[in-house]
Formats: sequence, C-alpha cells, structure tokens
Amino acid sequence: MSKLEKAKSSQPAVANTGKVGVRYRQEALESFYEGFKLAGIDFAVFLPDSMLDGVEQLLIERGEIENFQCSREDEGIAMAMGAFLVGKRPVALMEGSGIGMSALILARGIVQKTPTMLIIGHNSSLGERYDYHGATRLVAEPVLRALAIPYHVLFDPADIRNVIVEAQATIEGQRLPFGVLVPSHVIREIGARR
Amino acid sequence: MNRTDVLRHIASLRKGDPTIVSPGLANYPIAEAKDEPLTIYNMDMPYTTPMALGMALGWPGRRVISIEGDGSLLAGPGVLSTVARYQPKNLLIFVFDNGAYLTTGSGKAPTATAFGTDIEKLARGAGLKNTRTVHDLEAAKRAVNAAFAEPGPWLVVAKVDKHDRPVEREAHSLPMYVYEAGLIFRRAALRERSAQRD
Repeated sequence: MSKLEKAKSSQPAVANTGKVGVRYRQEALESFYEGFKLAGIDFAVFLPDSMLDGVEQLLIERGEIENFQCSREDEGIAMAMGAFLVGKRPVALMEGSGIGMSALILARGIVQKTPTMLIIGHNSSLGERYDYHGATRLVAEPVLRALAIPYHVLFDPADIRNVIVEAQATIEGQRLPFGVLVPSHVIREIGARR
Repeated sequence: MNRTDVLRHIASLRKGDPTIVSPGLANYPIAEAKDEPLTIYNMDMPYTTPMALGMALGWPGRRVISIEGDGSLLAGPGVLSTVARYQPKNLLIFVFDNGAYLTTGSGKAPTATAFGTDIEKLARGAGLKNTRTVHDLEAAKRAVNAAFAEPGPWLVVAKVDKHDRPVEREAHSLPMYVYEAGLIFRRAALRERSAQRD
C-alpha cells in the first residue's frame, strides 16, 4: 500500500457527523454528492469544518472522488487550481472564514483563468446563531463580491444538485471560480443543535 | 553557489515537466532555457508548492516541479505537512535560499533563514524524508539528479549567493503572460493526457 493510499485509508470509514447532537439532512448530503458526480467533479480538497463535515465524510467514505485535506483554505484552493490545470474538475470545501484567507489566490485564479468550485459553509445572513461565527459571517460574501466571483446562497435543499451542476457549467464556460454558500438550515436538521 | 547555475541544471533535466516558479529572479533562467507550455511563472508568493501539489496529485504519472525561494516557502510552510501527508512520488521542490528578499526593493531585507531558520529541518519535521541542503554546485547537481531519478517527494534546499540579482535583471526579459498561462498550460496538459489515453 502506498503512503498516499495509507493516508487516505487512515481516515474514518464511516461518516462521523461532528458535534454532539448535530444531525445532517441525509438527503442534502446525498444531493451534494450527486451534484458533484453529475458535474464531473473528480478532485476534492477541504479543510474540515462543522457545517460541511457531513459532505466531507461522505466523500471520504465513498472514495469515488479523489479527496485531500489541506492545512489552510488558501492552500487548498491553490491545490484545486493546480488540479484544474492538469485536467481535473476540482472542488474546494471550507468554512466561510477560509474565503477571507483566500482573496489573493482567488484573484490569481481569475487572471490566470484557473478556476475551481467553492463550497462554503456559512453565509452573511441566515442562521448564524453564535457570536464566534461573527467574523466568519463577515468575510466570505464581501470577498466574492469584491472579486466579482459569481456565487449562489442556497436556501432550499432541493436546489443543491442543480446549483452544483450549473455552477460547474459557469466555471468551465466562463473560466471563473464559483461559490456555493451553505447556510445551516440547508444541511442540518431543523431543530437540531446547529 | 550561484542560483542561475543550479536552475540551468534543473532546466536541462526538466524535459517539459510541469513547473511552477515563485516570484522573482528564478523565473529568468527557466524561461531562458526553454519557454515550455507546462510552466506557470511568477506564482503569487505562498502558492507555488500548493499549486504544484495539486498538479502532482491530479497527474500522478507526470513529474511536477516547484521552484521556491526561502521567502516564498516561509510565507506558507504549512503546505509541507500536506505534502508529507500524501507523499506524492512525483513532486520535486527546489528551494533557493539566499537569506534575503532579493528581488524586492533593495534586495537587502533578510529572511528568517539569515537568523537560523532551517528549511530542510522544517520539511523533515513536517514528515518529508527525501531532503537535502547543499552548499556548492557539485553537491547541488548530485541532489538534483537524485531528485529526478528517485521517487519523491523531494525537497532540496540550495544555499545560494546574491550575485545573480543585477545579472538577471539586466540580461533577460520575462515571458509576460500570466493572463494566458492557465489556458496554455491546461490545453497542453489535456492534449498530452489525451494522447496518452490513445
């Protein structure tokens, strides 16, 4: 077994859905996964975060889409862009705070025509219960707007699959990064601790 | 040891391998040797090795080269832990350590390596096994040859002088096509991968 395979296999085989008491909408997790498959996504990189942990664990569990963990979100976006350059269709998943770290690499991707899909936990308005997400809430959408990166804030879980497929069409057609923002209610059970 | 001599040696072995170069004077000898389509020049500072890592993981059958400076690698050293985690055999990282932000302004501002920071030790601490620090041209050539011949990931730190600053600036011009680089690179990569499948 290569070290790459060993690193992958040492990750948990079964989804462990994060915080005690948190329950993900299973159909939402499946919709993300199906969207990725339909869009031809074949390379995923992420920095673990609470909001998207269910999606990330599904990627690991099923193993069909190559997936890697990074040490910082901007590093992960650069990895995804490198994968795009060699012919992959990448996605980078992160909490909204990660976009705040990533303005420069996103700008580089725009001028160099090297895009990636971005799946972003949290947004600027909906469902932000905790003060410790105050800074996270502030940075993602303003950075995307400042760089004129197209993005969509999900509201209805039924839209997830189509939004991902259409986002990838924009990425390839316009050679631009695209952000899909994921508020809490879209991916976690209503009433569960979120 | 002069950086240009080592870069010319790398360029002579490269044979079109995907390569990303950090910002600064290291771009000139690579471009001068041959302007290959699978090249990204002047990558913004912390992202040379991260983007090369994505390439290496996404194209495991192709050798991928990252050309770093001490300043650029120290701007984002966390990537070394990600390289160590996945151990891509096809990734070669060459770090040119002159102890200064040589391209910037006067070129006199020192980096942390001038005060004892050891990039090879950072890499080994992160979990990389194939590492070298070299202080003269012959040792550098041996280390570069080993990196091209044996499975990686490799990290070679070349301790170089600062004498190439005026030479490179006066003698050469850079290919200026960051705007087109992604299109050129990806088209060439897809063409090559498509041909490999045929």
